[in-house]
Amino acid sequence: MAKAKARGREAELDSALERAADLLGRARFPIFGGLFTDIAGAAAALSLAETLGGVFDHASSAGLMRASKVMRETGATPASFGEVRNRADTVVVIGKGPLTRDPDLLDKLFPAKPGLPRPGDNKRELILLGADNTKTDNPKTPKGLRTTAIDGKSPLPELVALLAASLREGRFDLRDKALRTEIDETAARLRKSAFAVFVYDPAELEEPVLHTVLEMVRHLVLTTRAAILTTAASGNGDGVNLCSTWTCGLPVRTSFAGAVPQHDAWAYDTDRLLKSGEADALVWIDALAGESAVRPKGVSAVVLSANPGGAGKDDIVIEVASAAGDHDAALYLSPISGIGMVKAAKANKDKPTVAAALTRIAELIDERRAA
Amino acid sequence: MLIELRGGRIIDPAHNRDGVGDLFIEDGRIIAAPEGRTPDEVYDVTGKIVMAGAVDMHSHIAGSNVTLARQLMPELPMLAAQGGQPIPASPASWGAYATGIRYAEMGYTTVIEPAMIPTHAIEAQVELASIPIIDVAGLVILGNDDYTLELLRDGRGGGDELKDYVAWTLHHSKAIGLKVINAGGSEAFKFNDRKFGLDDEVPDYGVSSRAIVEAMQTAVAGLGIPHPPHVHCNNLGIAGNVETAVATLEATQGLPIHFAHIQFYGYGDGGDRGFSSGAPGLMEAVNKHKNATVDVGQVMFGQTVTISGDILRQFDGRRAANPKKWAINQGEGNGTGVVPYHYKKKSFVNALQWAIGLEIFLMAEDPWRVLFSTDHPNGALFVRYPEIFHLLMDKDERARWLDDLPDAAREVSNLAEITRELTLSELAIITRAAPAKLMGLTDRGHLAPGAIADIAVYTEQKNKTAMFSAADLVFKSGSLVVRNGKVVSVTYGRCYHVEPGFDAQIEKRVKTFYDRYYGADPSWFGVTDAVTHRRDRFATIPMPR
Repeated sequence: MAKAKARGREAELDSALERAADLLGRARFPIFGGLFTDIAGAAAALSLAETLGGVFDHASSAGLMRASKVMRETGATPASFGEVRNRADTVVVIGKGPLTRDPDLLDKLFPAKPGLPRPGDNKRELILLGADNTKTDNPKTPKGLRTTAIDGKSPLPELVALLAASLREGRFDLRDKALRTEIDETAARLRKSAFAVFVYDPAELEEPVLHTVLEMVRHLVLTTRAAILTTAASGNGDGVNLCSTWTCGLPVRTSFAGAVPQHDAWAYDTDRLLKSGEADALVWIDALAGESAVRPKGVSAVVLSANPGGAGKDDIVIEVASAAGDHDAALYLSPISGIGMVKAAKANKDKPTVAAALTRIAELIDERRAA
Repeated sequence: MLIELRGGRIIDPAHNRDGVGDLFIEDGRIIAAPEGRTPDEVYDVTGKIVMAGAVDMHSHIAGSNVTLARQLMPELPMLAAQGGQPIPASPASWGAYATGIRYAEMGYTTVIEPAMIPTHAIEAQVELASIPIIDVAGLVILGNDDYTLELLRDGRGGGDELKDYVAWTLHHSKAIGLKVINAGGSEAFKFNDRKFGLDDEVPDYGVSSRAIVEAMQTAVAGLGIPHPPHVHCNNLGIAGNVETAVATLEATQGLPIHFAHIQFYGYGDGGDRGFSSGAPGLMEAVNKHKNATVDVGQVMFGQTVTISGDILRQFDGRRAANPKKWAINQGEGNGTGVVPYHYKKKSFVNALQWAIGLEIFLMAEDPWRVLFSTDHPNGALFVRYPEIFHLLMDKDERARWLDDLPDAAREVSNLAEITRELTLSELAIITRAAPAKLMGLTDRGHLAPGAIADIAVYTEQKNKTAMFSAADLVFKSGSLVVRNGKVVSVTYGRCYHVEPGFDAQIEKRVKTFYDRYYGADPSWFGVTDAVTHRRDRFATIPMPR
């Protein structure tokens, strides 16, 4: 009985792979979206997107796109998580994103035990800029850590701009005297820091704000050490983005329809391509343990999912193994600020990985084209 | 299948061979002429030059540092192509796939990635595994990491623990050797030092650069790793730094050492502009210290991007960024600095750098110890190699280039007086035999029976740029992969590494260290066979002891 069931599943899988290959083999401009997958899955999706002349876009692209655009325009000065944890004497958390994304972030950045030797002799200090954790459900700051929360009534971009202006000791007017004092004191603290770090989620800040933060770093490094630490995008977004970059030289939201790959954060956005009708097929990949991508509504797709329960009747569904759940997976890991290997929570070889399923679809398309 | 390459001029300096003959290939290896057997395939290479596949011992082709540069500079291939460099104007041209294809077309079959970051070794290995055709190996970076510095500070650097730690790091990242980049300098940068010399000490640790290099030399020699520490010295790119390079050479205590891209250390501070060729003094020292090998790091004119774990130097170099943008990633150990750069023919400094590199090649008494590199992409993109071979092999070509340079640069360079032209055998030494030998890759770089059948066939031409841009035939492990300068079969190669062995105690110590300071588990960044789905991707090289 168990064998029959397994054979049944296999037949179902074969059929879904065949139908996916038929659909994609005919597609004029398919999107490989979602991309909540490991590096091997991303590489296989990139390869198929290249073969078919499609688009490669991740469901958490918004922040990645801004950060990479700003990087291409002016550069970047990141520090690894480990360097910030051990050596930063002033940590400025900008916005609510970082603490919302990782409620344990402050405990990780300010461990109770002393860290590695660090520059200067300042006591470590935390500044929450528009990130006041006393007014939210966010966890409290670590005991004994000097913390300044700056909120005021000003929106976040304005707070960042004020701090940048004060840092350079430029002239500016501010009616809120209390806020002015906080901003000036924070700027003074930054100037005398031995290693100041700005922590933020690029998905929360608009491009001009990102530029302003980087300008603060570039100003500080003239006399001291400074850096940024960004919150990783959900769904292994940073890992998928890196894989795209080393494969074709460009970040996600890249099209392979032309003679050379082309990146355009607006033009190759999954939602826009579906709404405009430019794309005629969608491959939706959602196969990471513990995370789920938000799928565009009203469009049928070839769905590669570890939890395909929500798939529609017009979808071609391929149930795949979950990365880090069912199989070992290379993923972007914040504690090492790079790609690491995560063991499967409970190894399960019954289902194909995203990489295996996409590789099989590619083979089927090749066979059809050769015939 | 038995393959014969018939009638070519076989250039195999490892066996003092330069003459017409036949080569036989079977099961991926070169074999002795088999008696009484008819080959299944015969390639008539009469009149052609037959060499071992080339081995690039220092080329930044993969890893988080290279991809940081790709993120900063996706326009690099387009700018390079606009400037006339031989590279397709596509961002994909410096992606992993194109890298393997172009290397193969030029006759390269093995490339060493010289700067794997230990905590990012998985990314480096996944990237390397996505490069087609060529075999690869990686050097892993230590010397600015806090574990090493802690050992040296506490006086435990001379004992087995450092050896075990080096061996564990090599094992954990599946590396073939150890890289040391501005020993102590990148760590000192984190304490806001902006200059760091050979005898300066890392703040808080009180350990000098000299002590770090010496400790690593002793550890690597003690482990019996074939490739000696691969050292990027202090004070790269600074006028007058030839003194640092010579002092570092003097400090090597007779132990084996390799100095990377020494052109960037060949600078004197003479002349009206305080910048002159230090090549004669540098080469006198290199020629004298038989324990030392070097690669050159030749510069070529045009757009490139510099990538280095020497963040102190890169931070300083940001002022010369062109285009005006830069990235300094302050990571564990060395971190990475990326600064775009445009070497200009009309620039006095750049012209002199170009001349100094060529002087170094041409002043070398022993080509087995002065190896080819551009430190891709730092001195020049690897697609420029054929032009450099041309310059080394043809003094008239050099004269033509020199005519275009600023008078001031020509006046303080010695290049015009050098008439030496490298022979094909000498070229085969610096691009094949010597790098393979130095890396411990004993099965390649030569054409004796038993060697891996990595073979490049060229049509001899006076125009060496044309000759080496497109191999007539390239065999990788016995399979034909290139014909008439174009890839005809896309294969995937192997990654070679050492396994020197270590006391298991070091794993516990390192685990405790990472847990305490980073909240991380070393298993997260340990390279296993699972990083690629290709079976037999990894292979260990034999240890001489």
